[in-house]
Amino acid sequence: MFRNRNWFNRNLWKPKNVHSLDHLKYLYTILSKNQNVSDGNRGLLVETLRSIAEILIWGDQNDSSVFDFFLEKNMLSFFLKILKQKCGSYVCVQLLQTLNILFENIRNETSLYYLLSNNHVNSIIVHKFDFSDEEVMAYYISFLKTLSLKLNCHTIHFFYNEHTNDFPLYTEAIKFFNHSESMVRIAVRTLTLNVYKVDDKSMLQFIRNKTAAPYFSNLVWFIGNHVLEIDACICKDVNQLSGQTRLSDLIAEHLDHLHYLNDILCLHIEDLNVVLIEHLLKKLLIPMYIMSLIPRNNLIFSEQNEKQSLISTALSLFLLSQVFLIIKERQLVHTLANILLKGESDFIFETEQNLRITNNILINKNEELENELMVYTENSEFLENPLAVFLRKKNSINFDKNESVCHSFATSTYSINITDEEKEQRLAQDTQIQTGSFLQAIFENLHCRENDYSVLFALCLLHAISSNSGIGKSLLDTFIFSSGSEYKTKYSVQLIENLIQITSISCQAGCRVRLLTLELTIALIKKLVLIDGKSILLDEHYAAIIGVKEESTSLLRSFYKNEDIFLDMFEDEYYDMKKRSLNIEWLMMDCNLLLQPTNSPMTGVEFSKRLPCGEVERVRRAIRVFLLIRELVLSLSHETESQLPLTDRNTCISIGTSLDLNNSDLITCTVLSKDGNKTRRFLAMDSNQLILVEPHSRLLGWGVTKLAGFLQDIEVTGDKEESKCLHVIIHHTNTGSAYSAKFLFDDHIRCMAAKQKLIKGRAKARKKKMMQIAKLLDIPVSNQPSSSSLLPYNLFTNRHQPISSLLYSSCKQSQPSKIISNFVYSLKPQYTLNIKIVTDNVSETYKNTPSTSCESSSRVIDNSLNTEEIPLVNLSYKIEENIPPKSDKDETTTLNDGDFLHKINNINVSENSVEDDITDKVWELSSGNFPGGSVVITLERRSGSRWKEEWTIQYCAKFQVVRTSFVFFIELQKQRVVIKFFVKSGVKTAEIIPKLRAVFQDDCQSSTRIYE
Amino acid sequence: MSYAYLFKYIIIGDTGVGKSCLLLQFTDKRFQPVHDLTIGVEFGARMITIDNKQIKLQIWDTAGQEAFRSITRSYYRGAAGALLVYDITRRDTFNHLTTWLEDARQHSNSNMVIMLIAKTAANVEDAFINTAKEIYEKIQEGVFDINNEANGIKIGPQSSPTNPNLPTDGRNKNSSSGCC
Repeated sequence: MFRNRNWFNRNLWKPKNVHSLDHLKYLYTILSKNQNVSDGNRGLLVETLRSIAEILIWGDQNDSSVFDFFLEKNMLSFFLKILKQKCGSYVCVQLLQTLNILFENIRNETSLYYLLSNNHVNSIIVHKFDFSDEEVMAYYISFLKTLSLKLNCHTIHFFYNEHTNDFPLYTEAIKFFNHSESMVRIAVRTLTLNVYKVDDKSMLQFIRNKTAAPYFSNLVWFIGNHVLEIDACICKDVNQLSGQTRLSDLIAEHLDHLHYLNDILCLHIEDLNVVLIEHLLKKLLIPMYIMSLIPRNNLIFSEQNEKQSLISTALSLFLLSQVFLIIKERQLVHTLANILLKGESDFIFETEQNLRITNNILINKNEELENELMVYTENSEFLENPLAVFLRKKNSINFDKNESVCHSFATSTYSINITDEEKEQRLAQDTQIQTGSFLQAIFENLHCRENDYSVLFALCLLHAISSNSGIGKSLLDTFIFSSGSEYKTKYSVQLIENLIQITSISCQAGCRVRLLTLELTIALIKKLVLIDGKSILLDEHYAAIIGVKEESTSLLRSFYKNEDIFLDMFEDEYYDMKKRSLNIEWLMMDCNLLLQPTNSPMTGVEFSKRLPCGEVERVRRAIRVFLLIRELVLSLSHETESQLPLTDRNTCISIGTSLDLNNSDLITCTVLSKDGNKTRRFLAMDSNQLILVEPHSRLLGWGVTKLAGFLQDIEVTGDKEESKCLHVIIHHTNTGSAYSAKFLFDDHIRCMAAKQKLIKGRAKARKKKMMQIAKLLDIPVSNQPSSSSLLPYNLFTNRHQPISSLLYSSCKQSQPSKIISNFVYSLKPQYTLNIKIVTDNVSETYKNTPSTSCESSSRVIDNSLNTEEIPLVNLSYKIEENIPPKSDKDETTTLNDGDFLHKINNINVSENSVEDDITDKVWELSSGNFPGGSVVITLERRSGSRWKEEWTIQYCAKFQVVRTSFVFFIELQKQRVVIKFFVKSGVKTAEIIPKLRAVFQDDCQSSTRIYE
Repeated sequence: MSYAYLFKYIIIGDTGVGKSCLLLQFTDKRFQPVHDLTIGVEFGARMITIDNKQIKLQIWDTAGQEAFRSITRSYYRGAAGALLVYDITRRDTFNHLTTWLEDARQHSNSNMVIMLIAKTAANVEDAFINTAKEIYEKIQEGVFDINNEANGIKIGPQSSPTNPNLPTDGRNKNSSSGCC
C-alpha cells in the first residue's frame, strides 16, 4: 500500500496501522524533512499535522509510548517553526485544529504538563495570526478557550509567569473582547471567567493590578455606549421592524453584559470585585443611570459630556431594574440601593483604604499594558475598539489620586478631573440633590400622566429592589417597608398610596394603564403588606382598595351583557390568569416595553403589554382588571375564593364515574363517532354537563360515565336528511379535547326531545353562570326585568321606598314596645352606616343592606310601632361638594319624601361624575324629631367585619323636649373618615356635647371635632 | 472560502453524551471513528451544499460553560441552530431534554432551529444537514433577518444575498461546484 504513495520519499515506509508508535515516527520523519512550507508540501503537512492529533489522542488513551516519543522529539517546536513561516491559513487552521484536539482530549495529566512545560504554547498564543481570516480567528479563539478550560492551580503556572509578570493567554484574549463576531466575544468572556475562577493569589494580583482597571473600564465604557445607543434607538421612531429588531438586539446584548458582570461578581474575588464595582458605580450606574432619574432642569452640568451621558428617565428606570433583577452581589446592589433609596452622601466602600492604594499601583502599571495595547490597536482592524479611545481617556479612567476617594456621593461621582471652579459648581449641585430625591423621583414616575410608560419601569424597579437578596434588610425596612415615625406602619405609606392610585386609575374606562402594569402593582402591594399571608394594611388603605374593587366592579358592570361571548371571555380570562405566574425578569427582557405603549395588536405585542383595541378587548381588559383586583382583595382579607371558578371542574362528573340514574331522564341513542364507530349510549344531563353513560354491570339503574361535556359549550344541529339524528359538537369535555359526533335516536320524537333538552340545558347552564357573574358584580338579577339591570347600585335599595317613608309606614302598624329603629345606610359602596334608634317603648328593626339585591327593600318589618307614640322621623339628606365644615349648619335643609327620592337619584349621578375622588363629599343626615332613648351609630365596612366603629349616644327625654335636630356629618377625607356631629338647637346642647366628646375620645381611629 | 451563507450552530445536551465527538465526526471526515479512540473538539466548521448554494456551518460546543449563565445565554442567542444531543443508552440524558428545551426557548430567538439527536444513531450527517436545510428554508421564507448577524447567520463575504454563487477559490477542497 505504501508503495502506491511513495511520491515524496521512497526511503520512508508507512506502517499499515495508523494508530501506532511507528506511524508517529513516520510522521516525525515527514515533519523533519518538510520544515519549510511550500506550495508543494502544504497538503502533505496538513495531513501530517492532522494525523499527529489523531495518533496522539489514541496514544493518550491506549499507548503511553506514543506520547513519550512526541515529547522526546520536541515535536511542538516543529509546529512553531511552521507557524513562523508565512504558511497560509490552510496550514494555520490545521495546526490550530491539531492543538485544539490535543488540549481538549488529553486525559493524562503528566502528558499535559509536559506539553505545556516548554513555553511553546505561550509562543503560539502570542503569534500574530491573520485574524482577518474568519476561520483562523474562530480556531484561534477556540484554542484559547480550550486552554482556559484546562486551567487550575497547577496548570496556571504554565500560562502565567510570575517573574516576568506575563500572562499571554489572558492578555491576548481580552484584546478581542469587542470583536465583531459574537461567538468570539463569547469565547473571550468564557476565557476570562475561567481565568478568574482559578484560585491563585499572585495570578489574581496580576489580573487586578495590570489588567483590571483597563479591562473593566473598557467593559463599562462599552456598556455605557451601548446604553446611549439604546436611548437613541428609543428616541427615534422605531415603528419599523428593522428598528425594533435593532432595539431587541441591543437590549439582549446589554443583558448579556449584565449577566457577564454578574458572573464575575459571583466568583467572589474580593479584589476584582472592588475594582469592578467601583468602575460600574462611578462610570455607569451613578452618572448615567441614577442621575438620569432627576429631571433635567434640576441638574447643573459642569461639563458638556456629563449632560450627554444622560438618558431618558424611563430607560434609566428600566436599566436599573435590570441591574437589580440580575445582580445579587451584596456590595454592589446594596451600595446602589443605598444611593437610590437614601439619595445621600454616605456610601463609602468598606475597602476604601485598599482601593486607594491599589489605584496608585494601577496608575503606574497601567502604562506598560497600555503601550502593549496601543501597539495592538495600531496594526489591527480593531481601531474602532475603544481600547484606543480608552487610552485617550486615560486620565478619566484612573481614579483621582489627589482627592480622597468617595467622601460623599457627589464628590465620588464627579471626582474625575476636578478643577477648583468646577468644585464650586458641584457644591451648588450638591445642595440640589436632597436626601431621598432619587426615591422621590422614582415615586414621581408612579403617577400615570399620558400613559403608564414609565410607571411600569418604576414599579419594576421597586419590585426588583424589594426582592433583591443582596440588599440589607434594614435598608429596605427603612425606605420601602416603613414610612418613618409618622405613621408607624411597616410599609411606606407614600408608596402604597401611589400604588392604590394606579389600581384605581386602571378601573376607569378608557384609561391608559396596561394590564401588566396593574399586575405588577398588585404584586408589589402584596409584597409590601402581606407577611406570612396576613395583611398589615392600615384600615384606611384597605378601605381604599375596597373602593377600587367597587370601581372595577362598576367598570365591568358597564360591560355586562347577556351574551355568549361575555361568559366565554370571562371564563377564559379567569383560567388564563390562574395559569400564568408573573416572572418579572422574563417579562422585562421584552424590548417592546421600551416603545411607547401601543394599542394595535398588529405590532405583535401581547395583550397584557398593550392597551385594548376595540370593544371586545376593552371588555376583556375590564374582566381581567376585575379578576385581578378581586384576587388582591381576597388575599388581603385572608379569604379564600368561594365564587370562582364559575364551575369547579374538580367536582364535575368525569369519565368512569358511576351514577345513580334512577328516576333520571334518560334518552337512548346510538353514537356515531367520526371514525365510524357505533356505540349504544344513554344520554343524561345535570345542570352543567351532558353525560353519556352505559349501564352499570352490577347495579341496577346505575350508569357508568363514558363521556361528559359542558353543556354551555355544546352545539346541536338537526340533520336535514334524517329526522332521528342530531349533530353534537362539545367544545370542552372534561378530558379537555373537543368532541364531535352524530347521535342517532330511536325515533323523531325522542330526537326532538333530546334536541330541546340539550338546547335548553345549554341556555340554562349559561344563564346560571351569568347569574353567578351578576352576583359577583352586585347586579340584581332575580325578578328584574333585564332593562333595569344597571340600577344605580349604592342606595338603589331605597329607590322604591325612602327610608323615612318605610319607617313611617312601619310605625303605623307597630305594637307598643321598645323601638329599635335600625337603619343601614350606604355612604359609599364600601361603607355601611347603621343608625339604630332605640326608644323606650316601641321596638322596630329595619335592616337595609344596600347593594345586595332589591329583596331587602321589601323585607318584612318585624315589629311595629305604636301609632300614637310614633315620632316622626324626618330625615333630610344632602350632598355637597367641598363644604367648609363651619358653614354646614346653615345649609341643611329638610326634604320631604318625594324630594328625597329625587335627591338620591341625583346623588348617584353626581357620584359617578366624581367617581375617582371620594374626598369631596359631605353626607348629612338629620332627624327632625326624636323620641327619647338612644342612638347607636355604627359605621362599618361592608365586606367583612374587619373594621367597625360604633357609638351609642343617649338622648333621654331631653332630646324630645328640646326638639334638637341631630345632625352628623361623615366626611371621607383622603381615605380617612371624619364624623362630625352637629347639635342644632341651643338650649340643651351643653349637656349633649360632653357625652359625644366622651364617646369619641375613646376612639383612636377617628379624629373628632365638635362644632357648636 | 466563499459561501452564500454561514450558519452558526451550538451543540447542547448533558455532559458525557459525546457532543464534542459528534462535532468532529461531522465537521471532519478525515477522522474515522474507531472503537479504541474518541476524539472531541469544541469547534468545527464545514461546507455543505443546499439548493446549489455553498453554506458554511460553524459549530460551537458549549460544554464546560454551564456554570456561567451569561455564557449560556449568549450562545443561544448567537446561534441559528441548536443540536440537542442525548444518549439513548442513558435514560437521564433523555429526561433532561425538557430542561434543555426550556432553556433554549427562553434564551434563543424564536426562530432558532432545534434538532434532537440520539447519540448512537448513525445519521449524524443528516441531523446537521437537515438543520441547515430548515434554516435555509426559513431564510427563503423570510423568517430570518439575514442582515442581522446576531441571529447566527452571516451572508458570505464575497456574495450578496441576491447573487450568492460567485466562484469559489482554488484552496477550497471540500466545496463541490456550486455555481449556477
